[in-house]
Amino acid sequence: MIKALEFILRSTLDRLSAQAVQYLPSILASLIILLGAWLCAVCARWVVQRAFHGAGIDRFLRRSGLNAVAGGAFSLGATRLAAAACYWVILLAGILIALSTLNSTLLSRVTERVVMLLPKLVTAALIVLGGLWLGQYLSRSMLIWACNQRLKSAHNLAGLVRIAVIFLSAVVAADHLDFARGVFLSAFIICLGGLVLAISLSIGLGRHEILNWFYRREDQAEQAGGREWSLWNHL
Amino acid sequence: MSCWRQPTNSVGRRAWRPDRRTPMRESIPPETDIVIGIPSYNNARTIGHVVRAAAAGLQKYFPQFRSVIVNSDGGSTDGTREAALNASVEDAGLLFLPTPLFPVHRLSMPYHGIPGKGSAFRMIFQLARDMRARACALLDADLRSVTPEWIDMLLRPILFGHYDFVAPYYRRHKYDGTITNSIIYPLTRALYGSRVRQPIGGDFGVSLPLIKRYLARDDWETDVARYGIDIWMTTIALAEKFAVCQSFLGAKIHDAKDPSADLSAMLQQVVGSVFTLMREYERVWLQVRGSQDVDIFGFRFEVGLEPVPVNVPRMLGHFHQACQDLKDVWSLALLPDTLAEVLRLDRAAGESAAFHLPDELWAKIIYEFAVAHRERAVERGQLLRSLTPLYMARVASFVRETESVNSADVEEKIERLCISFEEMKPYLVELWTRNLEGGARHAQPSSAGIQSAGAGAPAARMEVKTHD
Repeated sequence: MIKALEFILRSTLDRLSAQAVQYLPSILASLIILLGAWLCAVCARWVVQRAFHGAGIDRFLRRSGLNAVAGGAFSLGATRLAAAACYWVILLAGILIALSTLNSTLLSRVTERVVMLLPKLVTAALIVLGGLWLGQYLSRSMLIWACNQRLKSAHNLAGLVRIAVIFLSAVVAADHLDFARGVFLSAFIICLGGLVLAISLSIGLGRHEILNWFYRREDQAEQAGGREWSLWNHL
Repeated sequence: MSCWRQPTNSVGRRAWRPDRRTPMRESIPPETDIVIGIPSYNNARTIGHVVRAAAAGLQKYFPQFRSVIVNSDGGSTDGTREAALNASVEDAGLLFLPTPLFPVHRLSMPYHGIPGKGSAFRMIFQLARDMRARACALLDADLRSVTPEWIDMLLRPILFGHYDFVAPYYRRHKYDGTITNSIIYPLTRALYGSRVRQPIGGDFGVSLPLIKRYLARDDWETDVARYGIDIWMTTIALAEKFAVCQSFLGAKIHDAKDPSADLSAMLQQVVGSVFTLMREYERVWLQVRGSQDVDIFGFRFEVGLEPVPVNVPRMLGHFHQACQDLKDVWSLALLPDTLAEVLRLDRAAGESAAFHLPDELWAKIIYEFAVAHRERAVERGQLLRSLTPLYMARVASFVRETESVNSADVEEKIERLCISFEEMKPYLVELWTRNLEGGARHAQPSSAGIQSAGAGAPAARMEVKTHD
């Protein structure tokens, strides 16, 4: 009984040590690669920060207007954004290389998939970022226009524009990634169709009210200040 | 006496193209002494009067000069060009008009390029340069108060004096020309140190050297092509040290022009041009302190003016709404303290009778917008359009304060605003130069800047002389 137990334990330890001997170099190599990648990422982040500060990239973006074009997104710090992006790209590459040293079929397949997907992911991320910027820019333009036209729901209109643009960019990004393509596209078509239907119905059913409201407003303006104050008088 | 002609091919063909629809009776001389330019767009009702006044003015005051009246049209559909071509001076004898040595030629042609007053001016300038005109006068086509004397007043300082640029000096109703009174006059005066009262008046006299300078520039395709042209011309003349004077023209009464125009677009073009030129001429205006009078020609007199109705509650309503909607946009342009003051005013906007936007705060707002425009804190078009409600608040405040005062008191009030702009100029200089050095935008100016603003006040006041 004791001998049998001793045999089982010994065989188990032998098997573990054999496996350790087999995998330990790979694991050690992975850890070293990870460590190296982390060090590289930290160094790269530092270099990018110094280079951006030295070249005055933040100031350039502010003065050239790119900061404003990006809706103030760069005001968070283009330097910080670039340094963080550099850091994470190097770290991610290190992780992938480290995983590939383990010689596991599953891990290799995962790595391969990630590597293949990376360009698409980057493109999709750029599309979403572009959508976020465009949404902010257009919504701000809408907000200012609506306010100057004295529309009561300026904020709602601006929000609607922003959501529509961001949603559109999400649809395009999902389509690019082949991710739930049908769901996003159908949702987009349903929303667009619903919007058009709602506008058509509101114009069709409420045209009398719209006209009445318009004439009433004109009358009020006439009563309030005689003829409308000429814009030309401003100059 | 006048004759209708179309330009020959020998005269500036590259600069402008004659419209083939207009009959060509005879070629005009390749050279002339005077060009009168009248930009127009759907001004059939008034342009005939302007052309008649110009022709009579040329006959009466400059019979010894060769002259051309040019109507530069923006594609009118109401028969403006026909009205210009059919207008003629009747009863020359009753007007005591002398027989001129040369006929007054007249042209009417559409301009090409971006639709706007600036593009029309460009064509007139090109024509004047190619015809080697010694002087060019520009008249708005919507004027109802123009007289032959205007031609004399706009051209004589150039032809017989040493001046390059003649700005108009009108009597206007206290609520007419509010962009001029609230922003453009105080700002231009504080920046360049010259008291040109109507920098965007619309009617000017220009010498040939200045015309050549204008045409040599490459920014015609910007807001200059539209409403920005007037302040662009005045600013270049002031900043580049051309000899500038003013001529008293009496009352300015004009049709409501382009009523479909959007006020915020108009404000964007005019104020945007000032801010853009501030960047170009920063070396000039950063050195200027205080202001000097500019010569005014002509015998000044008081005139009756058409009242301009205003709707103050509507303006305050606009401002109130913007305080809710545009707070975030303004926070990118205004410094925190200034924004807080503006938002405090919003509470007062409810009681329109008591509403008051102080001169100093208004000057700070304009200066901070100028710096934000330079720095592109917000996209420039959005920034300038977001100024509209603040401008409305300022006009509402001005109207409330001047409801029961006469025109002399209104001028006094505008003078006080100008002095505030001049006193606050060190504040602008500090913001601007700190920005040049890459300083943080949203840091409040140091106390030194504020103190220097205060310290500069007596000096600025000493230099200020009231218009007589």
